[in-house]
Amino acid sequence: MLQKKICMVGMFGTGKTCLVQRYVHSLFSVKYLTTVGVKIDRREVQASGQPVMLMLWDLEGRDEVRNINPSYLKGAHGILYVVDGTRRDTFEKLFEIQALVTGAVGGVPSVVALNKSDLAEQWQLSPADDKRLATAGLFSLRTSAKSGDGVEAAFQHLADATVTPTGAHP
Amino acid sequence: MFDEQPSGSTEFATLRELLVGPERQQLDELADRVDEVTVTPHLLAEQLPEAIALRASRDGQLGRALAPTIETALRESIRRNPREVATAIFPVLGPAIRKAIAETMSGLVRSINSAVEHSFSVQGIKWRLEAWRTGERYADVVIKHALLYRVEQVFLIHAETGLLLAHVTAPDLDVPDADLISGMLTAIQDFVRDSFRPAEGGMLSTFTVGEHTVHVEAGPSALVAAVIRGQFPETVPQHLQQTLEQIHLEYASALGDFQGEAAPFASAAPLLEENLKTVLSTDRTAARSRLLWLRWAIPVAIVALLAGGFATASWTRWRRAVRVMESEPGFVVIDASRSWRRWHFRGLKDPMARDPRAVLLAAGAAPPAIDGEWKPYLSLDSAIVAARARQALVARIDEMRRHVEDTHIFFEPGSARVTDAEAMNVRALATSIRGMSDSASAAGGTVRIDLIGRTDPTGTDATNQSLANLRVDAVLRRLVAAGVPLAMLNGRPVATAQPLRAADPAEQARLNRSVSFEAVVTSGSHAPRGP
Repeated sequence: MLQKKICMVGMFGTGKTCLVQRYVHSLFSVKYLTTVGVKIDRREVQASGQPVMLMLWDLEGRDEVRNINPSYLKGAHGILYVVDGTRRDTFEKLFEIQALVTGAVGGVPSVVALNKSDLAEQWQLSPADDKRLATAGLFSLRTSAKSGDGVEAAFQHLADATVTPTGAHP
Repeated sequence: MFDEQPSGSTEFATLRELLVGPERQQLDELADRVDEVTVTPHLLAEQLPEAIALRASRDGQLGRALAPTIETALRESIRRNPREVATAIFPVLGPAIRKAIAETMSGLVRSINSAVEHSFSVQGIKWRLEAWRTGERYADVVIKHALLYRVEQVFLIHAETGLLLAHVTAPDLDVPDADLISGMLTAIQDFVRDSFRPAEGGMLSTFTVGEHTVHVEAGPSALVAAVIRGQFPETVPQHLQQTLEQIHLEYASALGDFQGEAAPFASAAPLLEENLKTVLSTDRTAARSRLLWLRWAIPVAIVALLAGGFATASWTRWRRAVRVMESEPGFVVIDASRSWRRWHFRGLKDPMARDPRAVLLAAGAAPPAIDGEWKPYLSLDSAIVAARARQALVARIDEMRRHVEDTHIFFEPGSARVTDAEAMNVRALATSIRGMSDSASAAGGTVRIDLIGRTDPTGTDATNQSLANLRVDAVLRRLVAAGVPLAMLNGRPVATAQPLRAADPAEQARLNRSVSFEAVVTSGSHAPRGP
């Protein structure tokens, strides 16, 4: 079966781990995140009519972008950026993170998950921000780890993009 | 069409050409073809190989056309003479079959060795008990105790992405999350490298988790990681390294172009499987085989000891038997030998000697079975001489006893007077009785003579009884007078009570007017008789 390495990156507390917890097969406990700095999960999806195994490398969220370990990004076929929609700073740091990732692995397909969409009243992102993402060539969608909204779509988009690299984002 | 009459040969020829031209041409062609068709076998033999080669080079038609015929021919040939075909293909099939059998057998022998060793040992029984107690499989208990090391899993991992390219496991192992482990192994490699920043090329090559060790060999494009249980020798990492090198060689382009498709690496599984190994302590034969030998040696030694003991006892018994026979009076043993369950004696034997079997039984050397080859001789051994003498005495006593008991002293009717003729008989009787007595006392015995006095039935009982008393007294007195000790004589006047029988009444009456004798020889007089 086709396998793809997907790295999930984002600042501390953006809900990366919660985002995947209900959708993946886990072997390792969350403790790995704080010890080794990465936790690997598995998710099978259908893309372009064939099964694809997404190996999800959940990288430990840090307060500072420079603390993200680029070693774990090596060879990634796709990146899932996670932003906390209720914390503006995590959105601002996204572009720094993107620069670091691009520096490490070049242009690979990516998706930005604007997480915690269930907390509408605390939402701090505006349509202008969506436009900014589009300008930066980043496909984004709103997700909620709590309700599950958008999570499947995020993985599906990423899977499709990695299997047919013509749709790759810069 | 034929209105005009032809004039001249040219016109006729033209006409003929017009009329039968095409047919003639056809005839000529046919004639040519007939010439071609009559190809002789010689010609065919010349051209057939060339023709086949020519056609075969053009297309596959010939092969397709011939295939059914060849198949039929082959089938027929095998049906008729399978031996011929077997001989022809043996050089090809033989080595292949031998190799397959050898491999199967060597595996089988190894498992039998292990099973035998562990089944027959005290340890094996302990392990069986443990398996029964804990509910584990016996095989697992054996592995737990006897395992030296076991390479349980081998991962082939893409170095850059940490994605699993291939994974092999020991037969009874199920590892559903190999891909996750593969990723995590790579992540841990990165983690260690980032944490400790080792010198160029440094990496985490071995780490131990409980009884498992994970050994990683890293190459530029791929890693090989093995999960090993137990203490493994240096040959295991060396072999992993070789495997990794070979994979880099064979899959260089597949590794370089890797985009997540692991299918091209499925063919690397046999290479990885070569690393899977289970080595039990029983496989280290040098030290253990001595113990295995000992395990058989103990019962063998017990059997040998028993057999030895039996043989020694048998030999001792035999020696004693020979000594007994040599010292037994009346035997001269010239040769003694024994075989399985039989003793053989050869020599001389006095007729007076005892039965050899009885001799040996009495001496406590019970024989299995005896073959005796004895020539008779006269022994001068004192015991035999005495025995012979006793036998002679007994024979003499018997002779005299017969004379005594055959003798009747007859009387006239109503008389108790011993006639002169009868007086002579009494004297002869006295001589026999005295001789008997002498012989009996020489043999250590005594003799008593009963004198039985009878009468004929004439007259009253009282008269007859008194007559019988008188007749006994008369004979008794004469015997004493002839030198027979009185103490030896015993009167039994029975009168008419126990008459002697005869066919004629007159003869019977005469027979009963008598005194007859019974000799009682008491014990001590019987010498041992020969067998």
